[in-house]
Amino acid sequence: MNKKLSQQIAFIIFKLFGILVVAILISILGFIIVNGISVINWKFLTAFPNEGMTTGGIFPAIVGTLYLIIGSLLFAFPLGVMSAIYTHEYAGKGWIVKTIRMMTNNLASIPSIVFGLFGMALFVNKLNFGDSIIAGSLTLGLLALPVIIRTTEEALKAVPNTYREASLALGATKLQTIKKVVIPAAMPNIITGLILSIGRVSGETAPILFTVAAYLLPQLPTGIFDQAMALPYHLYVLATSGTDLEASRPMAYGTALVLIMIVLTMNLLASFMRRKLEKNRSK
Amino acid sequence: MIEAKNINFYYGDFHALKNISIAIKPNTVTAFIGPSGCGKSTFLRLFNRMNDLIENTRLNGECLIEGKNIYDKSVDIDALRKRVGMVFQKPNPFPKSIFENVAYGLRVNDMGNKQFIQQRVEESLKGAALWDEVKDKLHKSAYELSGGQQQRLCIARALAVAPSVILMDEPASALDPISTSKIEELIHELKQQYTIVIVTHNMQQAARVSDNTGFFMHGELVEYSDTKKMFLNPDKESTQNYITGRFG
Repeated sequence: MNKKLSQQIAFIIFKLFGILVVAILISILGFIIVNGISVINWKFLTAFPNEGMTTGGIFPAIVGTLYLIIGSLLFAFPLGVMSAIYTHEYAGKGWIVKTIRMMTNNLASIPSIVFGLFGMALFVNKLNFGDSIIAGSLTLGLLALPVIIRTTEEALKAVPNTYREASLALGATKLQTIKKVVIPAAMPNIITGLILSIGRVSGETAPILFTVAAYLLPQLPTGIFDQAMALPYHLYVLATSGTDLEASRPMAYGTALVLIMIVLTMNLLASFMRRKLEKNRSK
Repeated sequence: MIEAKNINFYYGDFHALKNISIAIKPNTVTAFIGPSGCGKSTFLRLFNRMNDLIENTRLNGECLIEGKNIYDKSVDIDALRKRVGMVFQKPNPFPKSIFENVAYGLRVNDMGNKQFIQQRVEESLKGAALWDEVKDKLHKSAYELSGGQQQRLCIARALAVAPSVILMDEPASALDPISTSKIEELIHELKQQYTIVIVTHNMQQAARVSDNTGFFMHGELVEYSDTKKMFLNPDKESTQNYITGRFG
């Protein structure tokens, strides 16, 4: 076969696969939107499920997911940022850092159901929190931790060393340098990581399965030791274990749509912030 | 008064500074010249212990400022760096406002109240011959300034904490000729109040701004003398060769 022709054929194949990826994404989104959009209205977003989850809304699941996002990040954000500051700014290049970094990467690759099991064993049983927002938040927090650590480390790496030198040369201590120069400069990128981990946390089902998620609750949780409903688990319930699966199918698509919208919004927000930051830096 | 006695410095196994001794008088400008990699910047960075930031380095010898060995265990490094300011090769203002850049050193060292800081920022910007150009935009980002203005801002930032010594590591090498001559004029002015040590690649610059010049090569201080003598009638042949541009 001549060279030009084989090149052309190759590129056509690559192009087809490229288009295929986009097509898959669009058809998933399209499928959810087409099936879910009809049930989305104000009542769906603000009412409790009704009549065996075949009518009504998903309000408690939205609230529960918000609680879990906030709870998990309250725990994981400070811990992750501080650990990244330690490994990047203080610890030098010794074996401790290498170990921490390796462990962080390993943590990121553990299947989320294993986090769920661990969360159940530690928080629900051992620490006796029971199925509760606190147990679910901590479990989800563990899941978000490696994401936050890694993005924070990248953010710190992007801060030019000349800032650190300038600050130290003025008599600032290392801690002052980190607090007043390095962190402010890295903050937009750190926030980007935070938003990405919100996307991750809000969509996970397995870690909340045995630690917090309730099938159906008649009222909103009143404290951190209460159970809560959550969007991903509610979706699972609607799809597999309602009283009338046929009737609750549209509710499931509506729930999926809300969940996807939350995650997509977070991801768009993250990439928007990154672009804005890059623009600021080039100034 | 700065004095270095029998300084030997190593990056790992690399012997970067070889048995260097030097004495620098107060309120003078001392220039270090020499080819790239000769150790002049490394030597400069000993005086505010910036080399401490680099891992796997080793120092022998004594480095005295006002009679005290700055490598003594009892020395407070942060306090030392406040007394020995530094201006870097590339302008490196913080991503903060012009005002906050100059105020930074005052804030981290807990120097004075709001009013004092305001006054000190103004004095420092005047001292760095930048005040007239920035007085109407003190709260704009430092990155809106030109490269030359940024470097003068960095000088103002160093002046603000009232050091007695200012180290300059090729402060004009990233600047255009007009900005460079402004910095050189400024160095002349600053000499009245500060002891200045400057590393430069530019021999004309060394000749223009300095009182004394040290010529470094391969980690050794080949020659150190009055700048005029150095450029008109150096003792060593290698100095002569470098100055006349035969190598380097």
